[in-house]
Amino acid sequence: MQGGSSGIVYGGLKYQARCIADVRADAGSTTFLAGTLSLKEENEVHLIRLSPAESELICDGLFYHPNEIWDLKSCPFDHRVFSTVYTSGESYGASVWKIPELYGQSNSPQLQQLFTLDEHTGKIRCVLWWPLGKHDKLISIDDRNIFLWNIDASNKSAKVISQGSADMLPNLRGGAWDPHNHNSVATITDSSLNCWDLRSMKKSNAIEHAHFRDVDYNPKKQHIFATAEDEFGIRLWDLRMLKYPLKNLPGHSHWTWTVRHNPEHDQLILSAGTDSTVNLWFAKVGTDESGPESPSGSPTREQEPLLNSYTDYEDSIYGIAWSSHDPSLFASLSYDGRVVLESVKPYLQRK
Amino acid sequence: MATAGGAAPPAMDDKARRTRDLLASFYNTDPSAAAAAAPSPARPSPTAASASPLDSINSTSFDPDIYMNVLVQQSNLEGLLQRHVKMAAEIKNLDTDLQMLVYENYNKFISATDTIKRMKTNIVGMEANMEQLLSKITSVQSRSDTVNTSLFDKRENIEKLHRTRNLLRKVQFIYDLPTRLNKCIKTEAYADAVRFFTGAKPIFEAYGDTSFQDCKKASEEAINLVMQHLQAKLYSDSEPIEARAEAVVLLKQLNFPVDNLKSNLLEKLEDCLLNFQNDPTQASIGDISKTFRAYLIIFPDSEKRLIELAQALFSNRYETVRENLRKRIPSIDLLAMLRSLWEDSTSIDEVIPEAALPAFSLETTRDIIRQHIATAFLHLQNEISDVLVRTPSTSNEKLEESQLQTAMETSKIKVLQGCIDLLQEFHRLIDGNTELLVKLRDLIIDWVQEGFQDFFQKLDGHFHMLSGRSKSFSQESSGMESVQIDKVSTALVLMLAQLCVFIEQTAIPKVTEELASSFSGGGTHSYEYGPPFVPGEICRLYRSSGENFLHHYINMKTQKISKLLNKRFTTPVWIKHKEPREVNMFVDLLLLEFNGVVSEVKQILPGLIRRHRHSDSTGSTTSSRSNPMREDMLNRSNTHRSRSQFLENHLAKLFEQKMEIFTKVEYTQESVISAVLKLCLKSLQEFVRLQTFNRSGFQQIQLDMEFLKSSLKEFVDDEAAISFLLKEVNNAAHERCLDPIPLEPPILDKLINAKLAKIKDQSPNMQ
Repeated sequence: MQGGSSGIVYGGLKYQARCIADVRADAGSTTFLAGTLSLKEENEVHLIRLSPAESELICDGLFYHPNEIWDLKSCPFDHRVFSTVYTSGESYGASVWKIPELYGQSNSPQLQQLFTLDEHTGKIRCVLWWPLGKHDKLISIDDRNIFLWNIDASNKSAKVISQGSADMLPNLRGGAWDPHNHNSVATITDSSLNCWDLRSMKKSNAIEHAHFRDVDYNPKKQHIFATAEDEFGIRLWDLRMLKYPLKNLPGHSHWTWTVRHNPEHDQLILSAGTDSTVNLWFAKVGTDESGPESPSGSPTREQEPLLNSYTDYEDSIYGIAWSSHDPSLFASLSYDGRVVLESVKPYLQRK
Repeated sequence: MATAGGAAPPAMDDKARRTRDLLASFYNTDPSAAAAAAPSPARPSPTAASASPLDSINSTSFDPDIYMNVLVQQSNLEGLLQRHVKMAAEIKNLDTDLQMLVYENYNKFISATDTIKRMKTNIVGMEANMEQLLSKITSVQSRSDTVNTSLFDKRENIEKLHRTRNLLRKVQFIYDLPTRLNKCIKTEAYADAVRFFTGAKPIFEAYGDTSFQDCKKASEEAINLVMQHLQAKLYSDSEPIEARAEAVVLLKQLNFPVDNLKSNLLEKLEDCLLNFQNDPTQASIGDISKTFRAYLIIFPDSEKRLIELAQALFSNRYETVRENLRKRIPSIDLLAMLRSLWEDSTSIDEVIPEAALPAFSLETTRDIIRQHIATAFLHLQNEISDVLVRTPSTSNEKLEESQLQTAMETSKIKVLQGCIDLLQEFHRLIDGNTELLVKLRDLIIDWVQEGFQDFFQKLDGHFHMLSGRSKSFSQESSGMESVQIDKVSTALVLMLAQLCVFIEQTAIPKVTEELASSFSGGGTHSYEYGPPFVPGEICRLYRSSGENFLHHYINMKTQKISKLLNKRFTTPVWIKHKEPREVNMFVDLLLLEFNGVVSEVKQILPGLIRRHRHSDSTGSTTSSRSNPMREDMLNRSNTHRSRSQFLENHLAKLFEQKMEIFTKVEYTQESVISAVLKLCLKSLQEFVRLQTFNRSGFQQIQLDMEFLKSSLKEFVDDEAAISFLLKEVNNAAHERCLDPIPLEPPILDKLINAKLAKIKDQSPNMQ
């Protein structure tokens, strides 16, 4: 089943879903967390593991979640901890959960709620963990404010350290935490991208006049990040030179919803969109490339940054996640609840 | 001595030589000479002399004691005896020789005495004769003196007379000078006149103030006349050149300021050239070249100046041509100008080849033609750009019928006709058979080809600039420009797209054909990559540009609509939505946008003739194509909906329809309109998915979609896809609704009809 255009399908999610996250802290296997988005049914969080034979995706745990999940992030240093953002009716909430020990494979055990991030008044957009490892801070973003929390998992408590408000801006939509800098967070709105210094909670530089949908930092190269935008598709930027993008990739036929760098091969960028496709891009940035490239092969690649387009989906795709355990694998989640695991190995070899 | 030498037999040779040497030493008082002479016989064995003192008997260093000792030691008795005998004989011989010499000398002395005696007697009478001679010579001298003194006065007189005569002759000449000069003037023998006058000039200078005053005046008048005549001659063009040259020489002899004359004449020439420049009909280049030739002969030192003049003339004239170039004159006129200039330059070149005018002309002509080609292309580009920019800005939002269409047609025609006109123009350039153009032909062909390549590339870049989407994110695109992007008319982008297609499919093949037929050859630059004009490359460029523009257009349109939708969906609190009373305003705005798109697209893009349908004919809420099962599903309450149904439903409809939503966009009205519509409806669906609705909110969406369904039928033929997407929106709202109970069909109908009636009231003209 593996490789090619037919990935490994996991059909375990019964409802619509938007969120899938790689369990980075699980060093032993390729694991993902996916949460469903169902208004009326009982929502679930699925712990999906790639079987050792790498031939199928197994549901390693199924937990009921009280509300529909709009955002789900796995804790980068504890594989049993994750955060969700959820709505119930009008109200928004964000919590950090702990997966209970699964000795007896008991069916749908209750998730342990560590603490809630309940300082928010507006629509909570997302919760951010510092992507690279253990860090005692957490960021949550709602449509007006950005909160920095100090978390203590053992005491099951979280305290707001500082708060920044984006009064002048229209709705904040989301953000990304710079893996190279604890103190820097990028947030996006309908019309701009801002960088925040968490020490002062002040906005620093910005990109204006673009409708951003997602932002993702390059995990290997500092200052470099990718954005998904309505008008321009995918653009790569250097934080120090925000006037002009470094690169422009066409994006998707409809909205480019999300964009993710491969954790190991930072030239590989994955994007998913509402045109029901996942695109794999090759975009080299900067000069310090590792590995020589054959001169005959490079021009064609320069012209065609799109390595592959995965089209075997039936609805919009809102969630993609690279596996940090095996960086040649990624999981995508379409709105109809299908998780597909694909391998980019053929393109890696070509590179 | 002679006798002794002569008498001596050869055997006695040695002896004779010794004697002779001895004699010589005797006569020669100089001891050094004797010494020099003496060793000479001993020289053959100088070492032997010292070694055997026996032999040194003749030398000056002869030591008798050593000799004796040696002799006694070395010789035996017999030898001594022999030696004794021999020596005695030798001594005897020497004595006789001596005696003979004494006698001889004595005789000679006697004869000398006799001779002296005779001389004394002969000299006695001579003195008297000498005295006689002396007296005679003295008398002759005195006589000659007398004669001399007597003749002296007369000779002086004669000399004075002679001088006076000469003076008189000169005076006569001077007095005659005026008449003579006049005579010369009459016969036009100016050279003689000048010669005479220059001869007389020193006198006039010396005595002009006194006796010759009148004469000087008269002759000066005459010579002035001569000068005037000469000047007249110089200035008159009818005179033969040699005469004029002679006149100059003569004037120069008269100390006339010839340089002034020259500069005057040259200024005159300059004026003449200036006139010629301003009004070439006044003079012909033949005259000018003749003048040049004349001046060259008249003033041989003026060549440099003349070269300068000629070069200035031509550079000025070429400058004029260049100025004309800016006015964009037709090729034929330009060619005529250049040709005449070329001919002129060759004719001038015959006179002064040093000016290197043909080379200069060729160079300049090349530049001018190149510039001409470049400006022609630039003009065409500007014209096209003008046509493009002007029209959409005037039409603006009013979207008068067919205005864009005419603009589109105009720009198309402009491009094609412009290219063809240019080709014809350039064709004229290489059509001529003149020497000049034959030289430049290959170059021109290359330039034209290059020009087209460059032109199309630049035009493409210009299009991108116009579209506000610079291909490369260069430094020029500043924040200012990003603001301007919003201002770029969408119609313009669409026009650019269509124009790109037109250029790719019509203009470039046409141009290629023309180029192949009349501009083949060339290749003087020997391009590495084939001919300079590569239609394939340009076609590719325009194809991709066209696609870019089309996508950009669709993108811009959907962006605009997306903003509208965004506002619509993020502003209200859907979960507390009130019961729907009428179709929401945003539908009107949406339809207005669609109408705008349709209007633009219809005018600009080609397309099949659309079926005209009237909105008032459709009031029904259901489509015949709609899947009854899905309809059924929608009308059912959600409470018992099973998961399997949900999945099955999704899988089924997405599988059958997915491919149709994001199809490749083509350059047809239908394709573009439906692309915009589909993308917008997809956005609508996505926006809906992000919200949570209460029952009324859901019903509102249902109502809006139902109304859209009937309205959108007007826009596209791809009804299935549209109604599918509308259903998708409905489904999404259904999914995102806490209590999805749809409106009853009668109420739906009622509300829609009310909306339709309202529209009809507002614009009775609209069908």
